[in-house]
Amino acid sequence: MTDRESTRRRVRERYGKVAREGGFGCGCGPGCCDGRQDPQSVSASFGYSDEEQQAVPKGANLGLGCGNPVALASLKEGDTVLDLGSGAGFDCFLASQKVGASGHVIGVDMTVDMLEKARRNAQEGGYANVEFRLGEIEHLPVADASVDVVISNCVINLSVNKPQVFSEIFRVLRPGGRLLVSDIVLTAPLPDAIKNSSLLYTSCVSGALLKEEYQKCIHDAGFSRITIYGESVFPLNHIISEPELIRTIGSVPLDEAERKRLSDSIVSIKIGAEKKM
Amino acid sequence: MKRWLMDILCCPVCKGDIVLTVTEENEEEIIEGTLRCDACQVNYPIHEGIPNLLPPESASE
Repeated sequence: MTDRESTRRRVRERYGKVAREGGFGCGCGPGCCDGRQDPQSVSASFGYSDEEQQAVPKGANLGLGCGNPVALASLKEGDTVLDLGSGAGFDCFLASQKVGASGHVIGVDMTVDMLEKARRNAQEGGYANVEFRLGEIEHLPVADASVDVVISNCVINLSVNKPQVFSEIFRVLRPGGRLLVSDIVLTAPLPDAIKNSSLLYTSCVSGALLKEEYQKCIHDAGFSRITIYGESVFPLNHIISEPELIRTIGSVPLDEAERKRLSDSIVSIKIGAEKKM
Repeated sequence: MKRWLMDILCCPVCKGDIVLTVTEENEEEIIEGTLRCDACQVNYPIHEGIPNLLPPESASE
């Protein structure tokens, strides 16, 4: 098995576990984070209103995002929306309400347990215009030029082939279609001990690209009008494996200023781009 | 899986058309069946309403 395959498998296992064990604390399971972080308060801090959180089936919000791409996307009635890494369906359900009965929302996720959860949530909420499928964001099972808006929330950093993800997004978008993502990027390279941690890869830290590299991937895929709508330091206590992260950071010989610089370098970014007409 | 989805689904590998075979369907959607890509000679299963369109090499991991 190649490194890429084993990393992909670890990501899938990790989020399968999160799906099965549900939203304890930060989503990492009982005993972690002492229950300080519930999904609602995490999501509130990333820009979801109370109204949005209450509008979806209970259990759809796992508090695993790092922004609110639907709020940025200015979706219209009738739009076809594709959500990459749809998890338990939170953003899909919000998008569903915006695109209405004439629109469609498709969620793609590579974790069976997440999809089953999303499907149950869709049935519970009666969402006729939302569909989920098992698939990889590097190999989208979606026809060329068939989607108006692609959204993704804190997922692309987990991909082992990010340039291919952006090429696939470009392929499935119609001319004039848009991409809106929230994701984790870095403003400075990580120390090796953190970069090489597989647990921190599945926690959206070690797999993150430098901000400039991320923008370059989007540009190289063919997109234009690449716009950063916001960026903010991603609080370490919102990271899925916070205790392990703190331990790993603790094991790196850094002085206080360097440590501060490291935690300030993990950034949540909201970025958009367009496929030219 | 609802039928409207067929309009935009394609094979995840070659991006070609896929052919739907239904073995169980209710009023709302397809519950069990297969999506076949003839070009790649691969059957992608639909199980409990969810199409599995993982590329064959990762579906077997």
